[in-house]
Amino acid sequence: MSLFEVKDLSISYDAQADAEHPSPWLNGISFTLDAGCIYDLTGPSGAGKSMLLRACARMMDIKQGHLLLNGKGSLEFGFQEWRRQVCLVPQHASLVPGTIRDNLLLPWTLKVNRDKAQPTDQELKHLLEAASLDVALDHDAARLSGGQAARVALLRTFATKPPVLLLDEVDAALDDDSAHAVGILTMSMVEQGSTCLRIRHRPPDGRASGIFRLADGKLELLKGAERRLA
Amino acid sequence: MSGVIDIGFVELFAASALMLVAGIVSWRLSLGQEKNIAISTVRAFVQLLAMGFILIYLFQYQSWWLVLIVLLIMTLCATQIAVSRVKQSVKGLWLPTFASLLLSAITIAFIVVEGVIQPDPWYSARQLIPIAGMALGNAMSATAVATDRLFADMDSRSNEMFTLIALGATPREAAYPSIKAAVGAGILPTLATMCAAGIVQIPGMMSGQILAGANPVIAAKYQIVVLLMMSAATTIAIVVICFLTFRKRFSKEGYYLDVGIRS
Repeated sequence: MSLFEVKDLSISYDAQADAEHPSPWLNGISFTLDAGCIYDLTGPSGAGKSMLLRACARMMDIKQGHLLLNGKGSLEFGFQEWRRQVCLVPQHASLVPGTIRDNLLLPWTLKVNRDKAQPTDQELKHLLEAASLDVALDHDAARLSGGQAARVALLRTFATKPPVLLLDEVDAALDDDSAHAVGILTMSMVEQGSTCLRIRHRPPDGRASGIFRLADGKLELLKGAERRLA
Repeated sequence: MSGVIDIGFVELFAASALMLVAGIVSWRLSLGQEKNIAISTVRAFVQLLAMGFILIYLFQYQSWWLVLIVLLIMTLCATQIAVSRVKQSVKGLWLPTFASLLLSAITIAFIVVEGVIQPDPWYSARQLIPIAGMALGNAMSATAVATDRLFADMDSRSNEMFTLIALGATPREAAYPSIKAAVGAGILPTLATMCAAGIVQIPGMMSGQILAGANPVIAAKYQIVVLLMMSAATTIAIVVICFLTFRKRFSKEGYYLDVGIRS
């Protein structure tokens, strides 16, 4: 059984669409994501890649279709609980005022994580090291560079260990070394049993087990999941 | 009513020449506000004189239901003005604004009048109408400021809120910093008035009572009660309006309706 499954998903929004700028739409999208694998989502800009990720996180009005996590339908989860498990990291994830520690622990200030133990400083330091971030936990988040901030925002989501990670061009703002570190970190996340769907505009880094292409409202799998973990 | 010097109607109309100052400034600087200035002047004239005549009538024939009807009409007008002052386009503000003004200004005014002033009869228009009016006026301005600030702040935090929602935050958790900012912005003018009271300006009510020949210390006591009342009414009004309306910018699925996806 796949970890995450999307069945016959259709979405469209027409809030501000007109003849010249038709709204992107997706019709009858189906795909599955297996535990321990990373998938890349490619396609021309404006094809609705970000929208598809939003829909998977239920941050979009879904016209039709089903989302399943571990075979359990999304309607069995509350919205907040679903998003905790199927976690989207936007391209411009923002940090809140405060230290890096404040930012990494932000998820634990939310009701949805109320009865979950928050990570210790030691665990947070390990995370920072793994993303080759050489900053102290008490460092002011406002004084981070763009690339550092993007990694802290990513680590914040990684720290909650969601089963499904949806990454929307999180390495777009990073230099090659940082992007490499993020790739390694993502790999270590899925090796713990998660799955990850990423939108990337960098050359393939060889970590993806499958590559999806979204164009003209249709999704196709270009490359199957050969690299599956036992 | 000893010591009240009446103003003749001729002098009253002559005084409106003072508005020419504003008119000339607007004309010279091409502010385009001439029409607004004229309308505001006429409205102030008509509305205040009408209120005066209505009060004379009310004092004469006052009955509890008549006083309550006047209070209700005042609240409806305050709601309309507060909603029209909100620059952000948000639908469905009318009912929450009305509820918050009724719950704050009118309730607090009743508590003050019945608990502190204790007039006889309890519905005495001479106390209830002016006091409720002051509470309403303040709450109305504060509500408009707070609502505007709330929605502007949420828009400016849309990225942050998106991140929070994606982490599993409820709309309330995501909006909370904006609610805090809006309540703060709404309370500030009232607190500033309280700090300046008596030093910089003699607040309107106290001035009026002194001009009407009242003992200044009695006037000061009234003014203190009124200032305390206004800060309570304002605070309640903006907290209520913020919590009643912030969800209007969230979908039923609990994500923020950003500028691009608003209908």
